[in-house]
This record gives sequence, C-alpha cells and structure tokens, in this order.
Amino acid sequence: MIGASPWSRRLLAASGIFGLVFLAVPILIVIPMSFSSARALTFPPPGLSLRWYAALFGDSRWMEAMATSAILAVLASIAALLLGGLAAYGLRRGSFRGRDGAEGNFMAPLIIPTIIVSIALYLGLARVGLLGSFLGLVVAHTVLNVPLVLMVMGVAIREFDPRIEQVAWSLGASWSHTMTRVVLPNLAPSVFAAWIFAFIGSFDEVIVTSFIAGRYQTVPKKMFNELILEVNPTITAVATLLIGLTVLALAAVAAILARAGKLKQTLV
Amino acid sequence: MSSARQSTGFAFIAPLLVLMLVAFNAPIAYMLGLAFWDKAHGFTLEHYAGLLEAPVYLRVLGNTMRIALVATLANIVIGYPLAHWMRGLQNRARLVAIALVVLPFWVSILVRTYAWIVVLGNGGLVNRALQWLGLTDQPVQFLYNELGVTIGMANVLLPFLVLPLFAAMIRIDDRLLQAAASLGAPPRTIFWKVYFPLTVPALAAGTLLVFMLCLGFYVTPAILGGGRVPMVSNLLDTLINQIPRWEQASAISTILLIVALVIFAAYRRLDRKASAT
Repeated sequence: MIGASPWSRRLLAASGIFGLVFLAVPILIVIPMSFSSARALTFPPPGLSLRWYAALFGDSRWMEAMATSAILAVLASIAALLLGGLAAYGLRRGSFRGRDGAEGNFMAPLIIPTIIVSIALYLGLARVGLLGSFLGLVVAHTVLNVPLVLMVMGVAIREFDPRIEQVAWSLGASWSHTMTRVVLPNLAPSVFAAWIFAFIGSFDEVIVTSFIAGRYQTVPKKMFNELILEVNPTITAVATLLIGLTVLALAAVAAILARAGKLKQTLV
Repeated sequence: MSSARQSTGFAFIAPLLVLMLVAFNAPIAYMLGLAFWDKAHGFTLEHYAGLLEAPVYLRVLGNTMRIALVATLANIVIGYPLAHWMRGLQNRARLVAIALVVLPFWVSILVRTYAWIVVLGNGGLVNRALQWLGLTDQPVQFLYNELGVTIGMANVLLPFLVLPLFAAMIRIDDRLLQAAASLGAPPRTIFWKVYFPLTVPALAAGTLLVFMLCLGFYVTPAILGGGRVPMVSNLLDTLINQIPRWEQASAISTILLIVALVIFAAYRRLDRKASAT
C-alpha cells in the first residue's frame, strides 16, 4: 500500500509468507517422508530408503487399484470430453430456449456438495441394480467431470472468432469439415487441457467412488479406507506419486497453452 | 440461417442432456421422493419429524456449523493478507506465489488431508518444533479432534478464497490509491476507506463459497477427526452404509441441498457484483 510504514510492510510480508507456507508445506513434507527408512512418521526422516515404494509396487492390491483408477479415468474423461465439448459448442454458439437452465444443470455437480451427489447416485444406482458396477462408476465420473470440461471449453469457444467458421461455410465447407479442419485444430490446446483436468478429476475422485464402487478399488478409495483404519507409511509413497502426477499434468497444460499463445503471436 | 443455427445448437447439447437427466437429475429426484414420500401415506414430513426427535442429529448439526464457521474465519484471516501481499509482488515472485496457491488446489484432497497427519502428529514437524522451542514438554494433541479437522479444512479450502480475492485486488486501479494519497489521506485511511471497500464483494463471495463447501465436507473430518468429530456428511455416510436408513439420509440431504442452493444463489449475486467493479 502507498506510503505504508516499513513495519506494516514487514507484517504484511510475514503474514503472506505464512499463508503460502500453510498452503504448501503439507504437500512438500510428504515427499521426503515417502523416502524415509523408518516406520514412524517422524520428521525429518532418520534415514533414506525406497522401502515404501517397494512395498507399494510389490502389493498386488495397490497395483490392481492403480489399473482400475487409470481405466476408469481414461473412459470417464474421454466421455466427459466428448459430451462436454459438444455441449460447450452448442451452449456458446447456439441460441435455444432453456439454454441457461441447461448450462446451470450441467454445472450443478460442481456446485452441489459432493456428498449429496454421492447419496443420490447410491440410491439411484441401487434402485436400478447398478450399484457396484463398473458402468455405474464410469457414468458417475463422467457426470462429475463434465463441469470442468464445460468451463475450459466454454472459454475457449467464446474466444474463438465465429467469423472464421462463417468464412469456412461461405467457402462451401460442410459442417463436419468445418469442425474437423477449422474449429478443432484451433481449439486443440484447450481440448487437451480439458481432457487433463477431467482425467485428474476422475483419478482423484474419492467420495462418490467410496459410496458406489462396491468391490472395485480405486487408488483414492483404497487410500481413504486405509487412512481411516491406520496410518501406514506406504501411503506417503502413494501421495508422492499423486503429487508427481498432478505436477506433471499441470506442467503439460501450462506448456501447451503457452506454446499456443506464442503460436498465435507469431501468426499475427 | 438463424433458425438452422438454433436447432443445431440444441443438437450439440442433446447427448449430454440425456446423460444428465438419467444419471444426475433422476437420482436427485428419487432422493427427494424418498425424503417426502411414504408407501402407506403418500406425501409425508415424518422423516423430518424423526430428525428433530433424535438429539444426535442436532448435535452433529451444531458441530458442523461451528467447525464451518471457524474454518471460514481462519480462511479470511489467513487468505486476505496473503492475497493482498501477492498483489504487491513483482512479476516473477507473483507468478511463484500464484503457482503455490494453484498447485494445492489441484492436488488430491486425500493427499492434502493425509499430509496433516504427518505434519501435526505426535512426532510430526509442528510438535517437534514446539518441543525444540521449549513451549511444551508433552506433544500437543492436534489430531483426532476438532482442532485438527478445522486446520485441515481451512487448508483445503484456502485457494477457493485467495484466488477470487486476488483477482479482485489486482483489478483495483493504483491511480485510485494515489489520488487518495495526493489528497492527504494516511495509508490507514486509504486502506480502510478506498481499498478495502472495493474488495468486499469478492471477499463476501469467497467467504460464502468456502462456508458452503465446509458444510458438505466429508473426507477431512473422517480422516483428521478419527471418527470423533462427526459432521453432517459423516452422519449421512453412517445412515447409508452402516445402519441403512435411506429415508432419513434423503431427508438430511434435502435440507443440505436447499441450504447449499440458497448460499450459492447469494454467492452468484455477490460474484456478479465483484466482477462488475
């Protein structure tokens, strides 16, 4: 703030740094803990080892959970991307009755507390006999990730000049040709970002999954169940892998979007 | 042309609309039906009467409100100075700070909650530091009580407050503050009379959002509360998975749903106001 005394500046800096530390430290502490040689969760670790990673990769139940999570996340994120991407295009470019209502409904899974969605899906799936089915999981994860896709794709489509599409039509291009040759190549970075967000969203989902997965184990569900029972250091290895996955995914999104931004600049 | 656009526009959303109606709206409607319906009598409010009679429900509701309020207040106390400080940073430092706020936002809530067990446990970083400083002989019990749950929830939700608040703060024109200074206003007056009022809509919107998310929190109280700090969501879990009482679970969910929608409507109003300034 203008003219603030050095003391108030220092106080502000101290509280700002405290806030950042409060946010980041838990994540940063888990990483070294996963390389600890001890069973007890003492910090700093008394020695370094890879025993918790060995325990994790040697456990067939964890490996199975990883495979289930990966397959589920791939299927649900692709479904959310296809349905959500099409819907984002219709919402931004079309004008039909009830458009705002439809958009609100599509965004609702993000707004309504997840526990309510979990209970509604539990009751609904139990009613139709799909509780504990893989189909039920894929459908539920798709519904949950549609809002993320809509947010990313909605912004991208709004910023894409509709006149470019109109030019393609006026030059005689068909709808599908306009889509695959003009719209999609221009939106590719956002499509990739939306897919990554949906993938992480599904891979990390724990609440709905815990309610409706039945005998299926995903990584977050297994982690949640183990954390309630006992604190096992193997979890630090799982947590570190999840942090690594998130950082890689966000870095990929940032890199792709940055490149696309530069690409635009060089074209202009 | 325009009528063709209208119909094509709808065709694009139709597949998703069908999925949502079947897999989202129908289950919610079924839940509402269970909450208000009885095979023998038709429409009924007896599931709600049952809620009022059992003291455990009111106790859990009180718990939830108290924890949500404290966690939300903690968010304001930590988040406002953080966002304000970030506004004053130079480009590179500001980018680093934004990255440190955004990254936790995307890291699994399980990982962030679990991390607090490591940090706050008896042999954890905080207790070691307290003992090293000589502030305490015995480890302080942070975990498996309300304190731990509140710390964990405040941590998980902080980005939801800081990011919109920061966005509102960087929109404030520096010339406005310079004008106040050139007219002789001391820094304290500039802050409280010019700067702070401009951030109030975003602060209020963020606060409502955080409070709403607190009410439905499930993972953090389950893990950091060790089963001793039940909140509404954990009660719902019990009513579905342990003692199946679906009607009662539906009735509580319906109340929570209505509260969430009311808070969200207020949030939308404030958020529009915040974006307009």
